[in-house]
Amino acid sequence: MERETLMLLEKFDQLSLTEEQRDAFLKFYDKQLEEKKALDAVDTENVERMVHVMPIMTVVREDEAKKIYSREDLQKGAPATSEGYWQVPRLVE
Amino acid sequence: MKKYETVIGLEVHIELATKSKIFCSCSAEFGGEQNDHVCPACCGMPGMLPVTNKRVVDLGMTAGMMLNCEINRTTTFDKKNYYYPDLPCSYQTTQWFAPICVNGKVRIQTSKGEKDIRIKQIHMEEDAGKLVHDDWTDTSLVDYNRTSVPLIEIVSQPDFSSAEEVVAYLERLRSLLRFAKVSQCRMEQGSMRCDVNLSIREEGETKLGVRTEMKNMNSISAITRAIEYEVARHIDALENGTEELVQETRRWDDVKGKSYAMRSKETAGDYRYFPDPNVMPIVIDDEWFDSIKASLPEFPEVKKARFIDELGLSEYDADLITQSRAFCDCFEAAYKECGEAKEVANWLISDCMNMLNKKGSTMDQLKVDGTALGKLIKLVMESKVTRGNAKKILLVMDEETIDPEKYATENNFIVSNDTANIEKVIKEIVAADPKSVADYKGGKEKALMALFGKCMKTLKGNCDPQVLRKILLEEIDKA
Amino acid sequence: MKLYLTKSDCAMTNAVALDDMFLTKAMPTTAGSKMLDGYMSLFDAEVVTKLTEAGYEIAGKANVGEMAVDLLGETSYEGAVTDDNGTLLSASAEIAKEAKAVLCFDVNGAPRRAAAVSDLVFVKPTYGTVSRFGTVSSACSGETVGVMAKTVADAKAVLTAIAGHDDKDGTSLSDAQCEKILTTEKAVKKVAVAKSITASADDSVKADIEVAKKILSDNGVEVAEIDDEILTKAKAAWNILMSAELCNNVSRFDGVKYGYRSENYTTIEELYTNSRTEAFGELLKTMIIYGSDVLSTDNYMSFYDKAMRIRRVIAEKFAEIFTEYDAVMLPASSKKAFTKADTDANMYLAFDENLYTAPATITGLPAVVGGGVQLIGKAFSDSALMDAVKTIKEGK
Repeated sequence: MERETLMLLEKFDQLSLTEEQRDAFLKFYDKQLEEKKALDAVDTENVERMVHVMPIMTVVREDEAKKIYSREDLQKGAPATSEGYWQVPRLVE
Repeated sequence: MKKYETVIGLEVHIELATKSKIFCSCSAEFGGEQNDHVCPACCGMPGMLPVTNKRVVDLGMTAGMMLNCEINRTTTFDKKNYYYPDLPCSYQTTQWFAPICVNGKVRIQTSKGEKDIRIKQIHMEEDAGKLVHDDWTDTSLVDYNRTSVPLIEIVSQPDFSSAEEVVAYLERLRSLLRFAKVSQCRMEQGSMRCDVNLSIREEGETKLGVRTEMKNMNSISAITRAIEYEVARHIDALENGTEELVQETRRWDDVKGKSYAMRSKETAGDYRYFPDPNVMPIVIDDEWFDSIKASLPEFPEVKKARFIDELGLSEYDADLITQSRAFCDCFEAAYKECGEAKEVANWLISDCMNMLNKKGSTMDQLKVDGTALGKLIKLVMESKVTRGNAKKILLVMDEETIDPEKYATENNFIVSNDTANIEKVIKEIVAADPKSVADYKGGKEKALMALFGKCMKTLKGNCDPQVLRKILLEEIDKA
Repeated sequence: MKLYLTKSDCAMTNAVALDDMFLTKAMPTTAGSKMLDGYMSLFDAEVVTKLTEAGYEIAGKANVGEMAVDLLGETSYEGAVTDDNGTLLSASAEIAKEAKAVLCFDVNGAPRRAAAVSDLVFVKPTYGTVSRFGTVSSACSGETVGVMAKTVADAKAVLTAIAGHDDKDGTSLSDAQCEKILTTEKAVKKVAVAKSITASADDSVKADIEVAKKILSDNGVEVAEIDDEILTKAKAAWNILMSAELCNNVSRFDGVKYGYRSENYTTIEELYTNSRTEAFGELLKTMIIYGSDVLSTDNYMSFYDKAMRIRRVIAEKFAEIFTEYDAVMLPASSKKAFTKADTDANMYLAFDENLYTAPATITGLPAVVGGGVQLIGKAFSDSALMDAVKTIKEGK
């Protein structure tokens, strides 16, 4: 992986690594690529992907509205609120 | 100038008419105080797991069937990742790999005739929250009430070539989906929103031009103006090189009548879709599929034709009633009860419409029970309740469920057959007002109306007007 | 260094502790992360409710590695727990020595490793038989609530209290299915030893396997070695799936709604980036970035999609093994002790140790660790596996 690619990924993930951490990541990544070769060796052309390990289907609930939590409780641990809203820096469209 | 053609594709988001949200049990109702319809799940707290609201799947299927789609009998949910404060989990649960409906089509009618617009797919997903910008503190404020309200996104093929076609399509969607009770489709409340993908190419060219996307348009007139503006901007760029067209998302400013490039909200556009491990596949068996199929309403134009051909309504009346599913349902139930189609239509079109207008309500917000309306009409036709009093009862019927006859009895609205009492009242009034009697005898019709009104008022309206008129004339003769 | 976040009397006969991935109303839940320092949940995890209903006392919380994806808890923001010689200790294991049991969230095999190095029992039940409602999710498709205890009997007793259907968890199985894990339908009579995975472990670990083989044979159980080449691929596949799911699950921790917010920001991007950068540890950051890389448009098919197909290949391999055998035996870790120096030298050790734990994680199959070995069985054979581990422990 190129360092620039890594920096783009950091941006996507809202993280910022130090140069040292980048070095470590790139080494880690090379190792993962190496290990992934073991997967490439398996022909999975006709294998269906397995998202869920248990074959259960159609887990649905009835359409009923309930109110359990108050806004005050939900915002108790909020870093910043204003008049019942969560507050963040101004967003520019 | 070269000849250009416009190529437009639409993504229409429609909020589904459910009571609760798609993956949690918070209310999905529009509005409410900020952050009042929220729980740990829809404000992104750890620990809650999604359980799919069955009604969302019902309505997704219904929409697909109304728009001639194929229904995917196994449909799955996926996660779409991006950071934005109105998205509390930093991912949206949507359908990417196996949406509920594919390959539909909608027939539209424009000044150029009929045309089919192809639907690529319909997928179910959750809505995002809302941001309010606070100028005083220069901050943005987040409201999660709308977070996880269920949506369907209807993705069309790039089959439109003008704003007129777009408008015809949106109106057709709105009519069909309201009819099937999938959504109220209220653009002003944001329950129907539209992304417009637009490009321009030289006529005859097969490759598409540079595409721009305008997001979250929420009125028909704004959409029309925005399309016209974008077409002109694109052509100007191609003809005169005024600017270089780039693929981008733009915001339409309806006040200024201009579109602006948006600062990219969703980084890089790589959403890292992957199947949601917490939501099991939805498998639609025959029983489920058939039950939805059976619940579909007649298409509005089929209903309209039937109302005209079989029930003898005028074109005008049938057209008006079939604008709204609530009106149709009320009409059909009332007709079933009283057997007087024309009479029911009159009540709906004059009295109910007036009542809704005064309340500032839409036709779909009519709450009058059709069977009760039928009973009320019967009472009037049997002269048990006067039309004037029946109108008063109608107002009550739009507020609460009542039996009209029982209500009329309890509130002294039943026309009295006590002629002795009627005669007594008339005699007194005639005796007390010799001037009006003389005026009438002198040829003033209005004087009779005044006497009639006084009698009716004293009798509180509970009198067959024909009977009252007959006795009144007799008493005037005697006087 | 903190073993407990809150602590009552673990010596009570009915005291069950929780690792800090379980949300509780009465105590903070941190998931070992500065991001959730002091975070108070508005609700209890379903297993906490179930334990209380069954008459257990919640003794307190055990420190856990950040989002439970490390080797033995060393990445907790509270610091690693070690003994005087620098040997890594799992907080859950240390508490399990005192309490009746500790509920642990098995995402990356950490509790199984902890049980292996501390000579305890850990039961990772069949996926879907214990509710995940109220856990801080890390990697939803494989993470499982399990029980750590000194004895098989204690682990099973607590498992009995927490197993069962939960409407609030869409992956939860029916009560009838959940109950199956508590009774032995078919005893373990034939065990397959995973040859190459076992061979890759330290001699001391291999010796444990040899002892277990002998005990099982003495008890009339047939033991044979099998080719486990396909099973070794679970490691790389789970590392991909886990990192991606983790990346997605922790993206909600952004400094907006609750938890840590950096003081150093003016724009929303700075708020996000600085909060996450300051609050998350390096291992977590590595996994987040690896996770988003394997999901990127360019890599999705060759990494994430591939890993989901490999998952099925492995599940089918297990199914094939279980037509002949009742359980697969393998170590739960490469060594009988890890030191702080080990993880300092290679913070990604848990990725390597997944060789031993990922086969059961990626398939959702039950795995029981005890007596120095790990047994994996087919879905719902949990009770039979527990019986077999009990036999091994008693034979030692």
